Amino acid sequence: MSLTVRIPAPLRARAGGARIVQLEATSLAELRRALAEGYPDLGAAVLDGQAFASAISVFVDGEDVRFLPEDADLRNAHLVELLPAMSGG
Amino acid sequence: MTTMAIADQVQGLRCRSCGVLQPRDERYVCERCLGAVEPEYDLPSLRASDLRSRIEQGPRTIWRYAPLLPCAEPAQGLQVGWTPLVPAPHLGKAIGVDDLWLKDDSRNPSLSFKDRPVALATARALELGLDTIACASTGNLAGAVAAAAARAGLRAYVFVPETTEASKIAAAAWYGATVVRVRGNYDRVNRLCGSLADDLGWGFVNFTLRPYYAEGSKTLLFEIAEQLGWRLPDHVIVPVGSGALLTRTATALAQLIGTGLVPDAPCRISAAQPAGCAPVTDAVQDGWRAVAAVRSPETIARSLAIGAPADGDASVSVVRRSGGAAASVSDEEIVDACALLALTEGVLVEPAGGVVVATARSLARRDVFGRGERVVLYLTGNGHKGFPLEPELRETIDADPDAFGSAYPEAAR
Repeated sequence: MSLTVRIPAPLRARAGGARIVQLEATSLAELRRALAEGYPDLGAAVLDGQAFASAISVFVDGEDVRFLPEDADLRNAHLVELLPAMSGG
Repeated sequence: MTTMAIADQVQGLRCRSCGVLQPRDERYVCERCLGAVEPEYDLPSLRASDLRSRIEQGPRTIWRYAPLLPCAEPAQGLQVGWTPLVPAPHLGKAIGVDDLWLKDDSRNPSLSFKDRPVALATARALELGLDTIACASTGNLAGAVAAAAARAGLRAYVFVPETTEASKIAAAAWYGATVVRVRGNYDRVNRLCGSLADDLGWGFVNFTLRPYYAEGSKTLLFEIAEQLGWRLPDHVIVPVGSGALLTRTATALAQLIGTGLVPDAPCRISAAQPAGCAPVTDAVQDGWRAVAAVRSPETIARSLAIGAPADGDASVSVVRRSGGAAASVSDEEIVDACALLALTEGVLVEPAGGVVVATARSLARRDVFGRGERVVLYLTGNGHKGFPLEPELRETIDADPDAFGSAYPEAAR
């Protein structure tokens, strides 16, 4: 399944300046692997071992991945948003 | 709009995660690890006696602390800060705290402490030449951004959950802000703003201006220390939404001691959250574990309904290092505490203030406070903005003394 991945401005230099990249993944593990292999610089910033780094928030079709099971099925998913982990207001 | 010279005491932005010092440019997160970046000051160059004199001769606003802030005061801004610090003996007696004080920060221009961080964010927006400021808000920040924008001649867009109190939405709209109501809770609003922030070229105060915005929260403890005669309280109790106020209280503490403005003494920092959204206080009480986000916050204290707090883990760390404690309190305890505060001290706060009072009561029951310990409660939002519950009132009467006498028999005593 092709996922559209939105890259936040502070990370775009790590993705060749792209605002959006397309990745093939049907699970969170595959998504992380695709990031690490397709965009190693980007992967180094957003991954911490086998997990997403705590400084990044990751949403799949609007759902925070922290609330998704590790084996969540992404075959029908479309949009992945990467955002610096910031909140409060 | 013009500003004074850029604050020259800031040496750069230091990443809280990886420690790298970076230029003070338009970045708002660490370029290396995406960690939070914070202004770093040349503290050794600030001699205590000179600094104290400079502060005491300054305006009765947050800008008296300009040497410890990352932006210079704009030419035209609201009168933010220097809010009352008052003893609260009646409340103290009622909840079992010997020496209790209230930092009544509900008395800022838009009636919440958010005017402080927004003053810094607005100053930074003006430095950068931006024409629009914006925010994701649970309500109070929306009002603060709207008011500051009006004063500074900027455009404002404020994004709020659809469930935000009508009175808070109305206030932001009357200040001239465009109020964008969004389906879902605060965390959804936050995600939307995070997605928009990079590409609109606006100053999102709690995203793209966050390193400056968060610094405004230091000024509460600066003021408390000065109002106590340049002494630290023994204990402060801080409401936690994102955790920015609590973590910057720790920064302020370090800067007060580091510059010699106050004698080096312990000041414990404790966290207060509503039970319906308690990711930080639960983490503290579960043995200092990592913060787990709350998916669906449910609390009367809507201004603290942030399920995924940006400074959550950092808050847990601050509480632990300072020797503080934490409690979470039910909606019923929150309402009771608001009523008790109003009844005993004449201060009407929004539910977030009730969270702090109820937490103090809970900690007192746990014997967290030592005998004679000076405890300061942070009251961050005003009850006059619209309390979410109606008080119990008796039937309306005719304008007739007998009607009054029969409806209120207890009045004659």
